[in-house]
Order: sequence, then C-alpha cells, then structure tokens
Amino acid sequence: MSRVFVASVGLVPIGDQWHKSISDLMVEAAFKALDKCPWAKPDRIIVGNMFSGASSSQEHLGALLASCLGLKGVPAFKVEAACGSGGVAVHEGYVAVKAGLADVVLVVGVEKMKDILTPQATKALAMAEHADYTQVVGATFISLNALVMRYYMEKYGVTREEMAAFPIIAHKNAVTAPHAQFKRAITLQDVLNSPMISDPIRLLDSSPAGDGAAAVLLVSEKYASKENLVEIIASEVANNYFLVVEREDPLFLEATYIALKRALDKTGLKITDIDFFEIHDAFTITAALSLETMGLSERGKAPRDALNGKFELNGEFPISTFGGLKARGHPVGATGVYQVAEAYLQLTDQAGSNQVKGAKYGLTHNFGALDITTAVHILKRVG
Amino acid sequence: MMIPIAFWRNRRRYYNLIGNKCKSCGKEYYPPVHVCKKCGSKELADWEMPKEGKVISYTILLEPAEEFKPYAPIYLGLIELTNGVKVIGMLTDVKKEDVRIGMKVRATLRKLTEDRDGGQIFYGYKFVPVE
Repeated sequence: MSRVFVASVGLVPIGDQWHKSISDLMVEAAFKALDKCPWAKPDRIIVGNMFSGASSSQEHLGALLASCLGLKGVPAFKVEAACGSGGVAVHEGYVAVKAGLADVVLVVGVEKMKDILTPQATKALAMAEHADYTQVVGATFISLNALVMRYYMEKYGVTREEMAAFPIIAHKNAVTAPHAQFKRAITLQDVLNSPMISDPIRLLDSSPAGDGAAAVLLVSEKYASKENLVEIIASEVANNYFLVVEREDPLFLEATYIALKRALDKTGLKITDIDFFEIHDAFTITAALSLETMGLSERGKAPRDALNGKFELNGEFPISTFGGLKARGHPVGATGVYQVAEAYLQLTDQAGSNQVKGAKYGLTHNFGALDITTAVHILKRVG
Repeated sequence: MMIPIAFWRNRRRYYNLIGNKCKSCGKEYYPPVHVCKKCGSKELADWEMPKEGKVISYTILLEPAEEFKPYAPIYLGLIELTNGVKVIGMLTDVKKEDVRIGMKVRATLRKLTEDRDGGQIFYGYKFVPVE
C-alpha cells in the first residue's frame, strides 16, 4: 500500500460570492492547487459537497469539474455526507492512493450557500437529519444542537458566559486568516447580545453560511521526493446512530471517539502528541463536546479550559487555528477539505501569523449533522 | 420539507406515537427500527409508546423551516417517556416562563402544519404540560 501525501492546496476566500457559480468556485480552488504542481496530472477527482442540487440546481459535480478542467477519461464523482462531505471526500481520495488505484487525486470541497435565501438553506441543511422523524416535528438542525446545548449546560452547571469562550477564540484566530469569512475579533458582550436563533443558541454561537471551495492534491509515494509534502498518516471515517435520541449519551460523540481511536491506534500516537486540532466547531456546543470526547478536557470542563487559554493558538492544544467553522466559515460540504488544507499550511510553515510553531502533527475533525458521519485525519510534517 | 405522501405513510406513527418493540429482548423504539440495536433481532412488532414523560431539555426556536414559520416561536422539547424512550416534539399550551427541565408532559394530537399547495393538514403528536 502506498503512503499518501498532500502535495499542494488551494483555498477560495469564504463569503458572499454572488459573482461566481459553483463551477467557478470548484475550478478556482482546483487551479490554485494544480498550478503549484505542474508535474501532477489528476488520475482521479473527488468532490465533496452537500446540497448543490438545492443551492444551484446542479448535481453531477465530479464530471462537471473534470470537464471544466479540460480532462476526459478520469474517474470523477461527488461524495456526500452532509456537513462531513469534505472530510469524507479527502478520505475517499486517500483510499484511492493508499490502494494503488491512483497516483494523483484532486479532492475539492465546495458549497454554494448564498445564492439561496436563509429558509431554503435551513431546509437543505435539515436534510442531514432523518426527514421522517425530525423535520416533521418542526425541528431544524440548529434546534437539535440547542437541545443538546441546554442539556449539557444543565448537566454540568456550565454558564452561558463560559460557553462563549469558543466563538471568541475562533474569531480571534480568523483575524489574520486570509481565507476566513469573518476577519474580526468578537467580545463576550457581542456573543451575549447577538440575536437568538434557537434558545440558548445565538447567532454568534453558530457557524455562518458562506460560499467556498477548497482543494487538496493527494499524491502517492511515487512523488515522495517532491518538495513541500505533508503526509496523511491516518484517515478514518465512522458513523453514529442517526438520531440524537437513539444515543445512550447525547453528549458523547461516539463516531468521533471511534474514528479518533482508530487513527491513534494505527499511528501509535497519543492525543497529546498532536500539536493542533481543526475541530468541527459548527456550534459552540459542538466545540465543547468534540474536545471532551477527544479527551482534551474532562467532561463538562472544556468551556472553563477554553477560558483558561488551553485552546488558544499559543496554548497547550491549539484549536481552529484559522478560525474554525465559526469564523473561517462553514461552507458545509467544503469544510473538511478546508481543514486538511489548513493543516497542510501549518505543517509546511505557511500559516503566517497563525503558525503553530514547530508543529509536527495536526488533526482534522469533520462531521455530518451532529456526529452522524465523522472523518478524522492526522497529518504529519515531512522531513 | 413536508412531502404529503411521506407523511401519509407514517401518519399512524405521528398520531399515536407508534414505534416498535423487539420480540426477542423487549427493547422499545420510537421511531421504529429495522433491527434491534440491543440484541440484533430482526423480529420487531409495532408498539405504541406511553404518552407520559418529562422534559429533559428544550429550546425555543425563532427561525423554523418555512412550513413552520407561521407558528414561530416553536417550543421544542427533548422528552423522556416513561419507558425510557427519548423523543423530540413540540411543546404546546405552555407559557415561556413555565417551560423547565423536569416538567411533566403528556403527548396529545394536534395540528403540526399544513401543505400550502394542496391544503393537506398534517396532524401529529405534541406535548402539553401535565398539572
């Protein structure tokens, strides 16, 4: 089996991209990655995307991208796992290289969220949940997270103010991230005064809608002598029961736990060996649950640890180093690819002011809905 | 999105909270499952849930999906029924100041929403406080 490397990445700044179509976004990210490696010709293309049908009246994205790039005869297809589509797309690319089926795989994550209105986007996002038993009772994706957030705060006696630590860290890191949607810091008062969406979730507890695309170029060990490579040493995907109500403990992210455990077991690493964590902080609550499930905080303690600086860029376990889903942005099906691209930037010392100094290992963590499908990647500096 | 035929297909489940129960180990489910997640048996039979339970979490949703917009804000509860099964459902006939964790509730049949084109009314369970 081949080792798998990231050879280059391409990031489209996230935001309102009304002048660009979904194809434009994919092509821009793809060319940014491909232009850095003129020696690489993709022999496989994987697109991660959640709802291009609902947002752009467009499906069949794999072949569409290949065609836009002037390629014929390439296996090219889209994979979908709700907000985890990007992480799963990287996994699929990894599998192809690992198995020896491809030497150069172009993985692109893309989402167009701003061509449609908020209620339409809400409807599209709710499709990540069980249509027959969640949507019919009026629940949206945000409201499910709100139920879990209140349950968490009640169970562990965590205050509203403490929870706000996560969006504050995310925004702080995004200030100097060139591709971030919100390059501005926020304060506790900003969070507490932001509009209520689904009590206790306020606007600033929630990742924003944005248009975006990211690309990573994966290569086999045939190209191991090329410069600026980062190795993917683990790529794991796991599922959890579909409905939150089916889970014994709604505050434990079992898919995350299983995928992470497999990744650590296969690499022989401990969680504390990892230098930074791109976590799935779609909501304030998912940041807390992710860190606790990963064992970086005790149960119920992640918000207090965050307040004490543990997860800052210069802290013990830096998270969301370019702003995470909350502030870099969360173009849902693209997010997992942004995370891997960001880990690549960190591990090649291209992270600018966001650099985690001397980082050797980075972890990305991306899930669909509330930890229903979870992709975990561990990347390692080469040389 | 409410698809009228999909709703019709499951109407008994929504009206009466009918899930299923494992014939082998007795575990109860709502929504119904295809295989028992406890013992692996595929022998399950429809089973009506108890109607009483308590609120273990709740939210007040101000930005619901389009078909529920006329009813905003929507009070949603995470309810633990007396058989231990957890369900999500709307809370109704309740004042904001009265909603709390631990509140005892009972499932009742109410209108959920309606189909704007065809005019079909979707009925299903909601939870009301028990005095």
